[in-house]
Amino acid sequence: MKNRGATILAIIGAALLILPLVVHDTFVLRVLTEGVMWIGLAIAFDVIAGYTGYLNFGHGAFFGIGAYTIGILMMQANLPFWAALPLGGVAAAIVALIAGIPTLRLKGAYFAIATWALSRAIQQLALNVEFTGGPDGMRLEAFLNPQFFYYLMLITVGATFAILWYLLERAPFGLKLKAIREDEEGAKALGLNPTKLKMQSFILSALPTGILGGIYAYWITFIDPSSTLGDLVSDQAVVMVVFGGMGTLFGPALGAILIFAFKTIFWAYLSDFQLLYLIILGALIAISVIFIPNGLWGTMVKRKAGATRPEQKAEPASEPAALSAVAAPEEGN
Amino acid sequence: MMELLPQALTDGILLGGIYITIAIAFSLTYGVMHVIDFAVGEWIMFGAFTGYYLNKWTGLDPFLFLPVIFVLYFGVGYVIQPVIHRVLSGTKGNPFLMGLVFTFGLAIMFRGLALTAFGFYSNSIPSAFSEGSFDLEPLGLTVTIPTVRLVGLCYALAITLILHYLLKKTNFGLGVRALAQHKDAAGLMGVNSKRTGSYVYGIYVGISAMTGVLLGCILSIGAQMGNEYTIFAFFVVVLAGMGYLAGVPWAALLLGLVQSIFMIYFNPSHTLLAVFAILYIILLISPRGLFGKGV
Repeated sequence: MKNRGATILAIIGAALLILPLVVHDTFVLRVLTEGVMWIGLAIAFDVIAGYTGYLNFGHGAFFGIGAYTIGILMMQANLPFWAALPLGGVAAAIVALIAGIPTLRLKGAYFAIATWALSRAIQQLALNVEFTGGPDGMRLEAFLNPQFFYYLMLITVGATFAILWYLLERAPFGLKLKAIREDEEGAKALGLNPTKLKMQSFILSALPTGILGGIYAYWITFIDPSSTLGDLVSDQAVVMVVFGGMGTLFGPALGAILIFAFKTIFWAYLSDFQLLYLIILGALIAISVIFIPNGLWGTMVKRKAGATRPEQKAEPASEPAALSAVAAPEEGN
Repeated sequence: MMELLPQALTDGILLGGIYITIAIAFSLTYGVMHVIDFAVGEWIMFGAFTGYYLNKWTGLDPFLFLPVIFVLYFGVGYVIQPVIHRVLSGTKGNPFLMGLVFTFGLAIMFRGLALTAFGFYSNSIPSAFSEGSFDLEPLGLTVTIPTVRLVGLCYALAITLILHYLLKKTNFGLGVRALAQHKDAAGLMGVNSKRTGSYVYGIYVGISAMTGVLLGCILSIGAQMGNEYTIFAFFVVVLAGMGYLAGVPWAALLLGLVQSIFMIYFNPSHTLLAVFAILYIILLISPRGLFGKGV
């Protein structure tokens, strides 16, 4: 079972690596690059939202901060791209740290609101200060090499996926985060330090997002507050993760692929799609919350598990099962 | 600059008054049903547009429509609430966060609908009160009070008093308060939690829509106005302490003052930044709101 999963992943990875050698159409490559980027954004978002249970409705802010950091460092400090790129991630991480100190002490809803308001405030800041170019945005030095950006994006997202998979699915860190999500007081009673863990997961979510924002800025060569700091980045991340399935890495990746594919296909056929897309996004969140609260991936995996291991059905009713869910929170998932 | 201060304070209080109505019903829904409604700004926006079009078609003053708009949106809220109730009482995942995500989805959908239907233009609703204003001269300083804002403040006071009466003096209010304290116990005492929840949500949506009409008369309306008011609603409710109704008026007045002072003394487009900075500082000092009585 596990080996089969690894084989499938390896095949997908190899296919993605070889693809640019076969496909020479720049448009297709461009679409693929953006698709890969969305997978990265969705899984990074899920670290704090799905694993830790703290919904960050301002995920787009970290993306925009990364993009702007690289833009400013390259165009105003004349730093080379490779020197600026890690700093984009660092800037996002620092903002996560500063914003996290008061907001992560808050319970779920407060946190969601605070991050959402933070992203609005950062957008206002970018609109109002001089060095970002205000509403006119900022143009970066152009480097037009679709293959380069495809591979850069693929390697970054692949590395993010591998690191997050190790930390969240293999190392104790992921279990600790799930313990906080299931029962923060209980986690504290078990000797965990929720404040520190929440901060770590928030930073772990912000860092790759900032880097992806930086790559995006250099790739697109033009950034402005509405494209990088607008609602759409955050909104899409939320939809992809909720639709795909929170609290896993494969769920958000699946959600990102499906929603991005949907968006790309319809964007090509409908000229008025931009506004319609908002309606569809909103409806999709609402519908998936009602009908598939575990997301597509969660529903698929549950079905499968239910079919192969029927003996589990008897378990949940008894008292010890509830206790063991706190002690070993991964079972609650 | 000092002679502008009384004007700034007056404007702040008049504006803050209206923010009370945005936040008090919002806080009530949170307290009773544990719904944090991300679509609060969108209800305000829909109310404002309804008022705008009713005014355009009939030519009557928008203030005459307020009861109609309340009844209309009470109905909308009453119909939507069972869906939210279903999401919140689910057993899968984290129902509370799912409720939040659900209303977040509604907000995005509503914004998309409004942008499609009304476009990106902004407008204002003409009212008989809009033009008039009068001067007060306390201590030799002239303070101009626009009539429409004073009417707005009176509306806010009326809504607050009515809600207070409803909650403290009626059987319905007793049920609501019981529900807010303990859902299961209230159910055992004969409170129909589903229906009461629907009423509360309906009242909240109705009040938000009415407030939208007023804001449309005082400021302007546009399909994207909701965002800003959602932030304001959250600001007030978080500062007051989630679910702590008595803190709402003070937090709303504070928001009004911050806004008017920034309008007059600093750059008006920095208001949102200032609001966030204040929120951040207060949450650092007291995570449960200004009065430390939030949940």
